[in-house]
Formats: sequence, structure tokens, C-alpha cells
Amino acid sequence: MTLRRTAVTGIASLLGSRVLRRLAEVRPPESLVAIDIAAPPDALGVRHRALDFTEPASDQRLLEILREEEVETVVHAAFFTSPRRDSGYAHELESIGTLNLLAAAAAAGVERVIVRSFTAVYGARGHNPNFLTEDHALQPEPRLAWVRDKLEAEQHAVSFARRYPGMPITVLRFAPLFGPGVHTFYTRIFDHRVVPLLMGYDPLVQLLHPDDAVEAFVAAIEQAPGGAFNVVPTRPIPLLTAYHLAAKIPVFVPHPVAYAAADLMWAAGLGAAPGAFVDYVRYLFVADGEKARRRLGFVARHSSRDALTAYLRYRHPHAALRPVEAAS
Amino acid sequence: MRGSAKVVPLEPRGRRRAPAGEAEAHVRETRDGFLVALARVVEAGGAGLDWARLAEAWSAFYFAWHSEEVDEFGYDPKFLRTILPFFEFLYTMWWRVEASGVDHVPDQGSALLVANHSGVLPWDGVMINLAVRHEHPARRECRMLALDMFALLPFLAPLLAQSGAVRANQENGERLLRKGELVGVFPEGVKGVGKPFKDRYRLARFGRGGFVRLALRTGSPIVPCAVVGAEEIHPKVASMDWLGRPLGLPYLPITPTFPLLGPLGVIPLPTKWSIDFADPIPMAAYGPEGAEDPILVNRLSEQVRSTIQHMVDSRLARRRSVWFG
Repeated sequence: MTLRRTAVTGIASLLGSRVLRRLAEVRPPESLVAIDIAAPPDALGVRHRALDFTEPASDQRLLEILREEEVETVVHAAFFTSPRRDSGYAHELESIGTLNLLAAAAAAGVERVIVRSFTAVYGARGHNPNFLTEDHALQPEPRLAWVRDKLEAEQHAVSFARRYPGMPITVLRFAPLFGPGVHTFYTRIFDHRVVPLLMGYDPLVQLLHPDDAVEAFVAAIEQAPGGAFNVVPTRPIPLLTAYHLAAKIPVFVPHPVAYAAADLMWAAGLGAAPGAFVDYVRYLFVADGEKARRRLGFVARHSSRDALTAYLRYRHPHAALRPVEAAS
Repeated sequence: MRGSAKVVPLEPRGRRRAPAGEAEAHVRETRDGFLVALARVVEAGGAGLDWARLAEAWSAFYFAWHSEEVDEFGYDPKFLRTILPFFEFLYTMWWRVEASGVDHVPDQGSALLVANHSGVLPWDGVMINLAVRHEHPARRECRMLALDMFALLPFLAPLLAQSGAVRANQENGERLLRKGELVGVFPEGVKGVGKPFKDRYRLARFGRGGFVRLALRTGSPIVPCAVVGAEEIHPKVASMDWLGRPLGLPYLPITPTFPLLGPLGVIPLPTKWSIDFADPIPMAAYGPEGAEDPILVNRLSEQVRSTIQHMVDSRLARRRSVWFG
């Protein structure tokens, strides 16, 4: 019997590298292939195939790689976790890159594909339900290129899943990651002492520990049921509570000012994200993890608070944190 | 006491309140929290403007009256316990609420409390919650389903969520009922809470029977509940909805005190309230498939509506004064 391999893309990202490491712990390293521009650490003993998804003929090249390596499962984690100024490049990598990857995987006869996504694709909207389920419409703010590219990647996944029923495509929508090693535009809010809070708004937010995200990937690789799944922490946390747990000084900003100020900061090269992202600290985008529990058997082990605490310990190893108070 | 339709005398209210030890412990805890926060502020001031100390003081102040973990809807029991004394004042002193038949609310398991809505601002929801909290033998908590106009309103929305209210929709209601909670709902919606003074105590249409479907699907009994006295707290004699609409408000009332007295006009009038609970209407017999039968849903909805209308009417017939009951 020939060895059927698992390929992981985007191994330079935190989640991609963590998934690769986790798989290398439980499987022989020969059964793993890392597909990325960057090489994995030598100590893992994982084969590396260099590929740039933004190159014109990347699908041809990827098809060759998948055939040569006899890849059975593709884990696609090559996505940017923060908005980029060169949104054209991000679009090539995320939307077109996913399209090419799915085309090559289908042509190479890959049996299962796992694609990373984000709960942000639902869009933060005033009328969002308290718990977004997977069948809820994806209606993010169209101006946000970062979210739009993820949405397009998901749309490619849906269209390929329809055309190739023999190749289940499992899309995992992760809540914003918070924890050791995470640096995204969302965690950057917590890197300053003084933080903005919108006057009159205090949404619940979900912060996902990377350990849970990796376990969700493992569960999805094993089961590969196809379809979209929310991967969320056990409990959300109000934004203001998160600020105070992190000993921040919240400054209350009226929301019309906040959008304009965030846009100005972004234009000036100081901000972490364009103004329209203010929606994500204004409205709910809390997703429901019930489907993942039922179909993947995945339940997060950390709450949003645990994830926040883990992140703060990582960022400020010597700072004293509030002790966990006994549940009342 | 059980089954008696008579007005519950004042004494048992005190007796059935939270055990003294528990309440005192909470008062002590909150007070200590604020003292610690105050000490931190003084400390921060003494050390010059030190951001880290200031942040710590602010955090201590915040957690003196908020818990660090909330439930999935954002309910924070510590916050509610802190603001409750104000509502208790309204309950016992301002509106002198008389609750009768609270014992009809099941001691445990899911149940849907259905009430008439009135009073421009949703004070009636808070008072029903207090009635169940303080006068029910099991001291149950009632999770109110709040209209979108309140649950999505800036400033009010976080406060409602922290005090246990939940946006009114089928998914949220079902989630709470399946967890065995007591859920309160006002099927009249905006039509009820914002009705003009001349229409007082005439129940508006009960939506499209969504609350019945909720009860049928989860097999939860419906407990009809009639509130009398809330219609007169903000008598809406006319409206200036055209002014409210740009502000995102579905209505903006003119009452004898608002906007005449400015902010003071928001103070509700001290009428005499009564809250009556009726026998639960069991739903389990119809089975969850009953929710798909629109005729049955409408019939049950109308049954609940007329029960509540009847309770309101009989209470009104016995009432001699708006102010003294």
C-alpha cells in the first residue's frame, strides 16, 4: 500500500504551523507535505514543496506536486489574519489561490479538503441573531477587502463541492484567535494602554484559543464531513469586560467619530485596519458551535476569557493578572 | 396560600426575599469592591499620573459591580444584584405592586410567561421579573424577551443584556426554554407598549402567534399574566413620532410631563400596580408538531389573549383609584 499524504498550505502562519506540528506528533513525518513559500523547521522532518499561490501557473505546479506526493488530504490555511495595504496581493493569494488549489485538488483526485475561514465572513450587523448558525447568510460589509476575499474563497469552496461531490470540502469558520503567538489586527487593540470603546455599545465577542483551533482542524481532518462549521470558544465575553481584565483604560468614542478616526489612522499608516472594521467592535458576530459539536465531536476547552488570559500572559509575562474569581 | 386569588399581604414579600445572609454578603462584597477601587484611585493620584495604576483602579471599580464571566447572552447576575435595589424601591414604594397567584408559575422547568405590554418604557418587564424573583417560593429568575427597539438601542442594549433580558426572537426563546428557564414575553410588542392613552387596557393583536409556536415546540406551559397600573405611568396623549424616527425610535410620546418638564418627564407616575398570574395552560399534549398547525396556533393565541384581557378587565372592575388601587 502506498503512503497517502496530507498536505498543509500556509505553514508560515501561526495556525498552519501549529496544525503541521500537531500532525507531525501523531503521524509519521513522511506522510506530511508542507506547501508554502517558506520552509517548515527542519526538526519536524516534514517534506517541503515550495510554491507561490500568486504565480500565474500555480495551479499546474500544484497539480504536479499533489500527484507526485500522492496527496489524499489538503489542509488549506494560507490566509492573511489581518487586513493588508496591498489588497491586490491578498486577493490573488486568498481568492484566486483558493480557486487554484481547489481546481488542482479536484484534478489530482484529492479525497478531502479542509479550508480555513473566519466567523467575520458573517459580517457584524446590528440585526445579527445572538448565535449565527452555519446556514445564516454571509453578508459582510462589501468595502472590506480582507473579509471579501475570505467570502470569495468560501464561494469557490461551495461551487467545487457541488461540482465534485466525491471531494468533501470542509470549511472551518474560526472565531478571532487570541492566545500565545497570535498577532492580528484584533489582538493589536490590546497592545495599547488606552483603548477605544464605542459609546453605547458593548458587544459580546468570541476569542478562540489557538489550541482549540488546532484541535478543530484535527477533528475536521479525521472526519471530513464537508460543509461549513463554526469553531468557537465555550463562552463569549463583553468587550468592556475584556478591556478591564486586561487593565486597559477605555476611552468612549461616539461611533461616527470612530469610523472617521479609524479611516484616518489607516490612511496615515498608524491604524491596524480600515474604518469599516469598527462594525466588529460595535455589533455582534457571535457564532454557534453546535454543528461542530454534533458532526465533528469538537467542543472548545477554553472560554473567551481563557484565551484572553493566555494572550495577556504571552504578551506581558511579568505583569500581574486578575485572579480568576470563583463563579458566583 | 396556594390557589388563593386574594391579594398577597405585604409581610410574606419580606419573608420570601433572598435570605438575609446572602443579601448582606452581596452588599458587603460590593461595598468592599468599591472601597478597594477608591483606595486604588487615591493611590494612583498620589503616585502622579501613572497609567498602569489608573487602569488598575478603573478595573477594580468595574469589577466591584460586574462579574468577570457572563452567560452566552451576556447576563451578569452581579450587575443585576447591584442595580436591583433601585427597582425594588419602585416595586415596593413607588408602584406598591400587588402580585397575586405567583404560585401558578411552575417551581422548575421551562415555562413561558405571557403578559400584556404597556407604559411606553418597558418597566412592566422589570416588575414582573421582580414579582417572580421575590414572591415565588422557588425565587425563580425570569428571562425577559425584549423587543428589538429596546434590545438594539445604543446604551440600553448592553444594560438589558447584562440584566438578563434577551432579544425577542424564536431562536433565543427556544434556546432559553430548552435549558429549562422561565421566559417572559410580551406578544403585543410595539403595538402594546406604545399604544395611546385612549386605548389603555385594550390588548392589541398578539403578533402572529410566535409565542405559541415557541411553547408548542418546547412543550413549555404558558402562564398568562396581567399587569394593571402600567398604562397610566406615562400617559401617551399624543405623539411626535416624526421627531423620533430620525433618532431610530419607533415612537416618541407626548405625555403630561414629557417633554414639558424635560428630563424630569421621564419619571413615571406613581400609580398603583397589580400583577396577576393565572393557571398555566399546558402545551405538551399538542406535541411539537402542533407548531406547524396555524389554526391551532391562532386558537391558542386567542385563548391566551382573551384570558389576559379578562384578568385585566376583572382587576379594573375592582379598582377604585388609579393611584391607590
